[in-house]
Amino acid sequence: MAELAARDTLSVSTRGIPAGTQLTAVAWLRWRMFVNNIFRRRPTGTHQAVGLAFAILLRLIVWPFLALMVVGPVAGSGFLAWIAIAEGHPQTLAPLLAGIVILWQFVSINGLNIAAAVSSFDPASLTRFPLRFGRYLVLRTLLGLLTSSTIVGCLALLAATVGISLAKPALALPAVIVLAVYALMNIFLTRMIGAWMERWLANRRFREIFGLLMALFAVGIQFLSFQRASMRIPGIPDNWFLRFFHGSGPYLHWLPPGFAANAILLAPQRPAVALAQFTGLLASTALFAAVFAIRLHKQFLGEHLSEGVSRRTPANTVTRGRALSRQADALATQARPLPSRAAFPPVVGACLRKEWLVLRGNGAQIIKMFTPLIFVVIFSSGGFGQHSTYLLPGAIAYVLFGLLAGLYNVFGADGLGVQLYLLAPIRMRDVILAKNLMSLGLIAVEAGLAWAAVAMLARNPIPLSLEISTALWAIFVIAMNLALGTLRSIQAPHRFVPGQERQRGTPTNRTSGLLIFLVLFGSMILQVPVVYLSHSFHEPWLTAWIFGFLAAAAIAADALLLRNVDHFILAHRDVFAEVLCKI
Amino acid sequence: MTSLAIDTIALTRQFGEFTAVKDVNLRVAAGQFFGFLGPNGAGKSTTIKMLTGLLAPTSGNIRILGEDLNEHPAEVKRQIGVVPEGMALFGRLTADEYLRFVGRMYGLDRATTLQRTRELLEFMQLAGEREKLITDFSHGMQKKLALAAAVIHGPRILFLDEPFEGVDAVAAGTLKAMLQRMIARGATVFLTSHVLEIVERLCTHVAIIHRGELVAQGSLEELRAGAGSGQTDSREGTAPSGREDRSLEEVFLEIVGADREGNPAATAPEQELSWLS
Repeated sequence: MAELAARDTLSVSTRGIPAGTQLTAVAWLRWRMFVNNIFRRRPTGTHQAVGLAFAILLRLIVWPFLALMVVGPVAGSGFLAWIAIAEGHPQTLAPLLAGIVILWQFVSINGLNIAAAVSSFDPASLTRFPLRFGRYLVLRTLLGLLTSSTIVGCLALLAATVGISLAKPALALPAVIVLAVYALMNIFLTRMIGAWMERWLANRRFREIFGLLMALFAVGIQFLSFQRASMRIPGIPDNWFLRFFHGSGPYLHWLPPGFAANAILLAPQRPAVALAQFTGLLASTALFAAVFAIRLHKQFLGEHLSEGVSRRTPANTVTRGRALSRQADALATQARPLPSRAAFPPVVGACLRKEWLVLRGNGAQIIKMFTPLIFVVIFSSGGFGQHSTYLLPGAIAYVLFGLLAGLYNVFGADGLGVQLYLLAPIRMRDVILAKNLMSLGLIAVEAGLAWAAVAMLARNPIPLSLEISTALWAIFVIAMNLALGTLRSIQAPHRFVPGQERQRGTPTNRTSGLLIFLVLFGSMILQVPVVYLSHSFHEPWLTAWIFGFLAAAAIAADALLLRNVDHFILAHRDVFAEVLCKI
Repeated sequence: MTSLAIDTIALTRQFGEFTAVKDVNLRVAAGQFFGFLGPNGAGKSTTIKMLTGLLAPTSGNIRILGEDLNEHPAEVKRQIGVVPEGMALFGRLTADEYLRFVGRMYGLDRATTLQRTRELLEFMQLAGEREKLITDFSHGMQKKLALAAAVIHGPRILFLDEPFEGVDAVAAGTLKAMLQRMIARGATVFLTSHVLEIVERLCTHVAIIHRGELVAQGSLEELRAGAGSGQTDSREGTAPSGREDRSLEEVFLEIVGADREGNPAATAPEQELSWLS
């Protein structure tokens, strides 16, 4: 009887929560997170006011670059759509729409995701609230709409609609309807890929394979660009992009881009066929939405993605315990310091070993680190090989740009483990020295390999003065970034998981990124007047002298900073506790 | 007949080949202050995740307040409050913003949400931290906020995973009083804690899970007397006379410690770590 009463109470009290209440609550949540992310550090003092002004300035500098990256594909889509209709090349509309899909998905997969970058919000956490699946599906679909891929893709489709409408006003209405559905299809396709990627990326091995595949894809695209001359086909423009435009049309008829293009183009003359094509597009959209929904439903029901638990083994026997005990003894013996024979002091050696073990266990990070070398080889063997004057400094700058980021947040990957450094009876100088030595070792290996590749593949000999000045310039850039990076690592650390930047944040923040940019490219720009002067005075070694002086000054700054780093860290240890040591 | 707040039948969860929870039959009557105990890795958090709909069981059935969780997840979730293992807070919100969000997600109207938010922040002594982001809160403050969020909609069952961990003594006292008032008003509290004294002081009924299996279940008195259901024969006859006076810690160690002879970690301390001063 009492149970019955309880059931009655339950059924009365669980009348549906209005959809609007929950949807607006989530929208409000996202808005507050966005606002709080910008204004987290309120400018209450002069120091913070300067920081805020700097942050705003930084955004003003960065946003035009981002806007320029968006303007290209958007304007290109509008222009090509206009050309396709106005100049009588309707067969190129389907390849154009296919290109927009590829761009959309590539940007999405590469994690250029503004929403994800500004917050740590995991939409899967909404499953703990009393949501019905339909509402959860709607929320998950809507929550990704402000990503850069969706914005760029939608703007490109809007531009294509304008282009088509201007070229032939009779196609305006079908273009608006069809491309709106096409945008919806892309949104579901992105969500579908994202949801399944999330499922697969929960596995570390897959993450590494995926990282390799993405790197190979990026390299492959570059390789195709540089090999275009050897793939020339008579009568077809010498450009793989245009060849794709001309050649892929027939294959796209049975795919969503073909459905969308035909539905627009055939609407005035053959409405029945256009309707059939439009139905094909709708069916594709429904298919992607259904596959996305199936994945989400499993998540909604409480699917567990982590690989951690499945690795646990219940074995706990005496034999295993003794074996572990012996291993521990062996490790303890190995860990005893042997200063007389070791290359480094014990603390530096231990930290170096730890950094190496972390790196060794992260295949994705290693792959990512050495990917630029492949590009250097491609550039050197291509047209750039003739311009050895620019090739060597360019290749070294390119390689350095990716590696220097790691200097700006040396404690970020340690997370909670950084407490060990603060608690142990050691000097932080040794820890930073070890981390910097590891970074410098990697930079030296990669820059050395890039140098060797350029030296072997360049078609003209590289003057010795250029080699020396490039080496001194690189030393200056590395030393300068080492000093700035050490300061930033202590002043503004933030947690990240190496190799999982897409999911768990990036090693550098915007300010550090800008500093790398300024030092690297600022020093490259500095070369212009220096080279001009050396030409004017007929003194080829002038560049080397100037950068030699700068390198010496930067190394001196590094040494000075390293000497005083313990005091500096002591003064900023609250930052460590706040940012890195928080559970 | 007592109504059951929580009723599981052969609840099982596997992760690959590893069985984290195996054939668990839990029965928690409405209005009970129920303690769920077990050593590290025994399956407590996995069980709570299944009971709150965050993790799907591999097999078995869960009924919450008589409703099948699998069939009516939204209805059940509206009736329960949870302080999960990781607290599930949104670090980029303030406490006020977070509670308002949670209130709206549970279907409270705006006025009620605002009123309860204000009351809960006062009660949890977080009202003075309105400008601070949750990510800048101390662990104890986050715990209090998570508890506030778990009760804002007036749940009939409260699931608490280590609720007092990191909470100061004053706040812990306030929280315990609040939980006992909830029990007095008919709510059910399902709590896990490693601090057995807290469980002993608060809970009327206890279940013990060990290596994924429920090894004891019953009232504190039943467990002390060795009569709790689920106990295996291997533990029979080990209790000395006067066993009703035993503490929960003694009962717990007797139940989960019975098969630790083979575990090197349980070896006599004087035989190991001899280098410790």
